[in-house]
Amino acid sequence: MFDKSNRRDFLKRSAAVATGALILPQIIPSTALGMGGKLPPSDRIVMGAIGTGSQGTSNLKGFLGRVKELQFVAVCDVDTSHSAKAKGLIDEVNKNNDCRTYGDYREFLEKEKLDAVSIALPDHWHGIIYSSAANKKLDIYGEKPLARTINDSKAIVSAVKANNIIWQTGSWQRSQEHFRRGAELAINGRVGKIIRVEVGLPDGGKGIGTPPVLEAPAELNWEIWLGPAPKVPYRGVSHWNWRWILDYSGGQLTDWSGHHIDIAQWGIGMERSGPIEISGEGVYPRDGIYNAPVEYDFTCKYANGIEMRVANASRLRFGMGATWYGEKGWIHVDRGNVLKASDPKILEEVIGECEIHLYKSDNHIGNFLESIKSRGETVAPVEIAHRSISVGLLGEIAMTTGQKIQWDPVKQEMIGNLIASRLLSRPYRQPWSLPTI
Amino acid sequence: MKKQYLLIFIFAGLLAIFNSCQKSAEYKALIVTGQNNHNWKASSPILKQLLEQTGLFTAEIVKTPEKKGDMSTFNPDFSKYNVVVIDYNGDSWSDKTKAAFVEYVNNGGGVVIYHGSNNAFPEWKEFNLMTGLGGWGNRSAKDGPYIYFKKDSMIIDTTAGRGGSHAKRHEFEVKMRNTGHPITKGLPARWRHGNDELYSQLRGPGKNMEILATAFADTAGGGTGRSEPMLMTITYGKGRIFHTVLGHADEGGGPAMECVGFIATFQRGAEWAASGKVTQKVPYDFPNAAGVSLRTGFIELSLEYDLSKISQYDITKSTKYFTDLQSRIRNEAKTPEEFQKFEKLMIKVLGNKDATDEGKKLLLGELSWMGSDLCIPVIKELAKKEQLKDAAEFALARLQPAK
Repeated sequence: MFDKSNRRDFLKRSAAVATGALILPQIIPSTALGMGGKLPPSDRIVMGAIGTGSQGTSNLKGFLGRVKELQFVAVCDVDTSHSAKAKGLIDEVNKNNDCRTYGDYREFLEKEKLDAVSIALPDHWHGIIYSSAANKKLDIYGEKPLARTINDSKAIVSAVKANNIIWQTGSWQRSQEHFRRGAELAINGRVGKIIRVEVGLPDGGKGIGTPPVLEAPAELNWEIWLGPAPKVPYRGVSHWNWRWILDYSGGQLTDWSGHHIDIAQWGIGMERSGPIEISGEGVYPRDGIYNAPVEYDFTCKYANGIEMRVANASRLRFGMGATWYGEKGWIHVDRGNVLKASDPKILEEVIGECEIHLYKSDNHIGNFLESIKSRGETVAPVEIAHRSISVGLLGEIAMTTGQKIQWDPVKQEMIGNLIASRLLSRPYRQPWSLPTI
Repeated sequence: MKKQYLLIFIFAGLLAIFNSCQKSAEYKALIVTGQNNHNWKASSPILKQLLEQTGLFTAEIVKTPEKKGDMSTFNPDFSKYNVVVIDYNGDSWSDKTKAAFVEYVNNGGGVVIYHGSNNAFPEWKEFNLMTGLGGWGNRSAKDGPYIYFKKDSMIIDTTAGRGGSHAKRHEFEVKMRNTGHPITKGLPARWRHGNDELYSQLRGPGKNMEILATAFADTAGGGTGRSEPMLMTITYGKGRIFHTVLGHADEGGGPAMECVGFIATFQRGAEWAASGKVTQKVPYDFPNAAGVSLRTGFIELSLEYDLSKISQYDITKSTKYFTDLQSRIRNEAKTPEEFQKFEKLMIKVLGNKDATDEGKKLLLGELSWMGSDLCIPVIKELAKKEQLKDAAEFALARLQPAK
């Protein structure tokens, strides 16, 4: 049939309405497009992975569970112990020793002919690598939060759109029935008009002071791990714990923006917009290299009058999760299948045919694979991921400056605030820069 | 180096005194001590200093006679004071003095019960109604239930057993149970407390009592496995009582008293007991879940002190003077003029040949968002230095973005 890249182009063209240049039947058997399930290996979606640490491996395992629909052929990680483990998982499923490993994403993207890529990296690398993969016309399953800064996040949205690729964010809560149901009850006014929303995200933890400088492990390419972030000596903090350092992440707040803030905005119809005013305060570690806020508490006002408070769980009545407060009651959702309401009868309510029905997905990876084939939007597309992390990042800016900031969610600009505008980006260290589309 | 440190020390001390003289003290406090199985000679002067540092209190210390002394000679006029701080665990007071104290509280007088003072007077019913919970002194089920938290629920436990225990001293986390009370409002919901005794298994009447904060007594360290009350408020008659079990005193105070969590909750609790409100700002060095914060020598930090320390900054030692500066900026700078006040001080450090590169890097990061044109020349100079090039370019990219 087709070679890999041609097949992908074909899928895209046929979905975008077949052009006259294509001498093909208008009705294509689903098996030819990889929807039948019983396909020769050559018709499976060809994938690779960039970033195969804890979350990357978790995602990889999810993909490998659907081996009938896809095949992994290559992985890339700055830590050779990560890439070796990932290769082991892939080779075991593929029953061969063929999975290729890379330490530099540029070489990986240049050499591999893929349909799609699963990416799970520290946030400070998202802007460059998501955009670069999009420019290679790869469909992307990318981890939340979308980016470290709002400007990086906007750049990723532009790259995904310009290249017309399929994007799924790792905001997997959107593919869980009870989160969707909670948001759907809220948006359809089952507790009356929504007045305010509370979003509880995890508290930060204990610091580690400033550990001594160590030689980076031989398996880790520390220079590339740092990439566009400031050059600092290795102090034993890289994998996972990068998320407590502001050069790489915003801490629990931004780590979880792509979960409960994402769900909260879904339930008030703001998932493709954003707040107009943000203010609040954070509690920061006093000493040591972990400097992301351990507590945070900020309020976002939306143009429709709704107020959303985002805080660490210890400060909120319901702790973790999203809670919509309406004129007639409340609805609360959290992990562990938690869906509660002020009146349990609310949870029995049926959503009528003419009401708002939210995008239904019951398998997050499956939804991505279906969208690759259908060329339709996923349940967690890039624009929504961008708007979810924007809330966390705007909160971060309000807390950093100690100011009440005004935001234009249409133009996506600060209103009359030079200081806050500067915090929309984190300049990259030379020679790194965002790729041009 | 030592001399310089001493000078800064004295300067900071003078500044603290100067600050406390700016406001006229509104309240009078009396610290009652003189007998205690704890080191009251260390703690009482510190409690006095802490009260006076707020600028809200003038404080006096009154000592009872020594153990087995003639307690009839101890009869202070409580009614002259807005708050009485109890740092006492010893012989029973005279009936007359007890009656005067009860009358004082009944009439709306404020009380602070500090650490081992809740061990005092096991037989005095009214006092135990004021403390809510107490320990030791043969306290048992007859004195009231155990009161503690399990997860998010308060448990009132009437099972038999001793009143009062603590595992070996250790650092632990204090969790606020009500962040809306004037005493706790604005404070972190969780904070690490300096090495202290984690009072456990307290029992008492617990009437008209609210538990503001607890700490988990981990069984791994020999604790009860319960979240034990740490900060409480109690009302008695028209009186308000603030009860802190924190702050076990070593000679010179030690980490339990130097902990800014202890200091600030004590100061706020005393103001609330005296007035029913809290006007004090949350100090920038208040601890949080990330780690303990000790105020060595009980000296309140100043901007000048922070900047002098940032000049000598060595990342392996501490980042706290920088984070304090960040807190000052975000809390105190609202107008361009206020930002420039900080910026000018930061520029001085950037231009100081003797200041460390590590310290300058931190300031460049901060100036990158809050700086004005004033700081551009010095940053351009620093961009020529190999060690500071990246940090200076980072700042310039934000301050002078390419069109």
